[in-house]
Amino acid sequence: MKKTNIILLVVIAVAIGVIVTMVGDFSTYETFATAREKEGKEFHVIGKLDTLQAMNYDPIKDANLFSFYVHDKTGESHKVIFYGAKPTDFEKAESIVLTGKMEGSEFHCSKILMKCPSKYKDDQVAVSNKQL
Amino acid sequence: MKFVGEHLLPGQLGHFFAILAFVASMVATVAYYNVVKSKDPAAQDSWKRLARWSFIIQSAAVIAVFSCLYYILYNHYFEYKYAWRNTSRDLPVYYLLSSLWSDQEGSFLLWSIWNSILGIILIRTSKKWEAPVMTTFSLAQFIMASMLLGIFVLGYKVGSNPFMLLREAPENQLAPIFQTPDYMQHIHDGNGLNVTLQNYWMVIHPPILFLGFASMIIPFAFAFAGIWTRDYTGWVKPVQPWGLFAIMLLGTGIMMGAAWAYESLNFGGYWAWDPVENASLVPWLTMVAGVHTLLAYKATGHSLKSTIFFFFISYVLILYSSFLTKSGVLGDTSVHSFTDMGMTAQLLFAMLVFTIPSITLLIIRRKDIPSVKKEENSYSREFWLFVGSLILLIAAIQITFTTSIPVWNKLLSAFGLKSLFNMNDIAPPSDSIFHYNKIQIWIAIVLGVLTAIVQFMRYKDTPRGMITKKLALPTLVSLLLTGLVAWKGTITYDTYGAGFLTAIYLMLFASIYAIVGNVTYIFTGLKGKLKNAGASVAHIGFGMVLLGVLISSSKMEIISLDRMKMLNDGFFRKESKQNPRENIMLPRDVPVQMGDYHVTYGGDSVAQGDPKTYYKVHYEKKDRQTGKITEKFTLYPDAFVNRKENAISSNPASRHYLTRDIFTYVSAAPNKEEEAKADTTPYITHEMKQGDSVFFSKGFIVLKGLNTKPESRNYVAQSGDLAVGAELEVFTQTDDHFKLQPVYFIRDSSYQYSVEDTLAPLGLNVRFSKIMPAENKIELKVKEAAGFSDYIVMKAMIFPYINVLWLGILITIFGTAMSIYQKVRRR
Repeated sequence: MKKTNIILLVVIAVAIGVIVTMVGDFSTYETFATAREKEGKEFHVIGKLDTLQAMNYDPIKDANLFSFYVHDKTGESHKVIFYGAKPTDFEKAESIVLTGKMEGSEFHCSKILMKCPSKYKDDQVAVSNKQL
Repeated sequence: MKFVGEHLLPGQLGHFFAILAFVASMVATVAYYNVVKSKDPAAQDSWKRLARWSFIIQSAAVIAVFSCLYYILYNHYFEYKYAWRNTSRDLPVYYLLSSLWSDQEGSFLLWSIWNSILGIILIRTSKKWEAPVMTTFSLAQFIMASMLLGIFVLGYKVGSNPFMLLREAPENQLAPIFQTPDYMQHIHDGNGLNVTLQNYWMVIHPPILFLGFASMIIPFAFAFAGIWTRDYTGWVKPVQPWGLFAIMLLGTGIMMGAAWAYESLNFGGYWAWDPVENASLVPWLTMVAGVHTLLAYKATGHSLKSTIFFFFISYVLILYSSFLTKSGVLGDTSVHSFTDMGMTAQLLFAMLVFTIPSITLLIIRRKDIPSVKKEENSYSREFWLFVGSLILLIAAIQITFTTSIPVWNKLLSAFGLKSLFNMNDIAPPSDSIFHYNKIQIWIAIVLGVLTAIVQFMRYKDTPRGMITKKLALPTLVSLLLTGLVAWKGTITYDTYGAGFLTAIYLMLFASIYAIVGNVTYIFTGLKGKLKNAGASVAHIGFGMVLLGVLISSSKMEIISLDRMKMLNDGFFRKESKQNPRENIMLPRDVPVQMGDYHVTYGGDSVAQGDPKTYYKVHYEKKDRQTGKITEKFTLYPDAFVNRKENAISSNPASRHYLTRDIFTYVSAAPNKEEEAKADTTPYITHEMKQGDSVFFSKGFIVLKGLNTKPESRNYVAQSGDLAVGAELEVFTQTDDHFKLQPVYFIRDSSYQYSVEDTLAPLGLNVRFSKIMPAENKIELKVKEAAGFSDYIVMKAMIFPYINVLWLGILITIFGTAMSIYQKVRRR
């Protein structure tokens, strides 16, 4: 067998190995109900801001605590806690993708991705408290 | 209906030129194809003349389209949707260009212009390769022009017309405002440019990036021309400088985007592995691989097939990246992708038009492509160039695989697999940055080491002892330096455990090794002949990029940690990891300690004609022992503040040092006017004559006089109003001086109104509530907001040694440019 072929085989093996380990990292889009079943694991939840309930950000008390309520796609509403400053234009977000986990009846999220219609131009903004 | 006040000519001209470009590029494609196919020299000549002229006409037409669009934006013709959507009257002229390419149509236009310019250069320089290469070029231009058509063919919308009128937009056609002929009277201003794009990087980053995109077609076109005309080797020579040109420009474009991300700090640094960033990085990686296998081919005859493959796949990946970012498929996963404009199928078509013929032809004719029967020697340079290219390919595959998650979802559901296995949509990794880092760091390690070693090898075969002898010194020096940096630099990035920290140390060595190895090579390998040192210089730069990335990311430090709150609720509990408390609240004029600094927020200010609010943040560094101030500076982070929606969009301010940058960034600020209104403190009534004054806690107010033609931002006069404004002057203890004018008016001779005026910085509200003509007095009601607070919520961070990264990029660009110059001169 030619050396080039052996190397190609090794590369393919490495690539497959890498992809397999990667798939383990992939997350899934869940609802609050399914996320609660697997409490403690991180998921993505897509939802809308529940405007009937108050959102709370009081920087004088704590600049890193922002809480609000979100409806997931089944309509279930839960309190969401984000440890960071309240994102700009949060009220205008049409839909929100939250990354985080359920803890009790609260959803603790580490990242918020918002889709904001500014007039009819869709801009997205992501906020995260994780860094490079 | 005849509409009044529209300027239709520039739009009609622009649309005409768009169609002209479409037709001319089609003619050019067919004509160039016929040059290649026809056997008769006379026919070839006449086809070639036609082809050249049509390509030149299409180039002129594309530039004309661009000029028309710019003319519309420059003159604020808001009847055009493009102008209305992306500009506003207060937008500075130099941002009009960023408006122009902020939307899809503009970015296609930019791409198309570069294609035209490169095409014309190739017509002049590529001699016998002109016809087959330009066939590909013209086809690319034909597809690009179709993106700007905006016409319906068989019920399917082809392209999107940038000259669409606001009233013609599908979402507006039924709006009542557009049913009146003089609707232009009501459209005073446009939507404006997204504030994050109002940055000078956004003026120059897109043109460079798109020049990079456009130049990636050249290696593709040459390689394809080679296979197509069965001249499998002749295309290699002219393509070499172009391959380098493509990686230089695309690399520069990508890193300018990184510099923008760093300066506007919306994504927490210069690189966030966002799908849009990844999509343009991947073709760069494969093109770098291709350029290296091309070197191997030129020296030894090996790796021609892989070179062709890399050139093909690079352009295909460029098209794939524009598909990802422009089709809206990234939707839920990316921060800055465009939304779907109904062109998904067209973008997919564009990708397949180039993918299918090239890959098919490569497979069919693979046996005809010359290759060397003898295997590469393990001690040869070409062997390791090939291995390095494969490593780059693995990097590309990994990044593409994760970036494409939304595409996998679409594919799985298209084939019904999702319902078959009862699967949910796959989501990107929840910690996506680490997901990429933990794999790419190993690739960076291998690449760094290869960069250091491979130059010392010779093509074909290297004497055994020579490598060890030549590498001994650089290896030793690198090990020493690594030890020194590790010891002095105290890299203790243990967020992801000891395994990752080991990888960080290895990468530290690999990047230092790459730098030292190539510096040594310039002296020992090239005997200091700088003329030929382009590649080595570029590799030194690459090593510095790796080093800069490594140090700045692993030693990035957030200094605005809220330590007070850490004590009360569980910094040491398990939440602590997801609650890094990176924002700190700074009350006005109260110093707060942050890292080595005492930081004080000193109030905000606005300037006439500048839409931004500036926040003054003073930094002071004191000597620990003596308490003397050793360093003092003020940063002015700013923000676009939208009072109505209480939204701020902030830009950081930074203090640059040679060895680190300090960033300050306002994440929230109180809406003072709203707060003052919501306050329930009672008003105090005062009766005043002209010249009287009343005191309040921070100063006093003087009634200067009455104004029968009052002007106030909250009061719009109507005919029949009887209005009086009280001209007040406010003096404070700090010798500040303000004017106020509350208004009192009677409308329809019976209803009394009073329009309040507020002084936000002092929390002062004044109402003009009554006129008492008999006593020649008026009644003012004054309220001072209680517990009024002025503060900002701020984030501050230190990026150490970020300049190593920027310098590395500059050196890489410079080295590549040296190589290009050398290759062109030798030709």
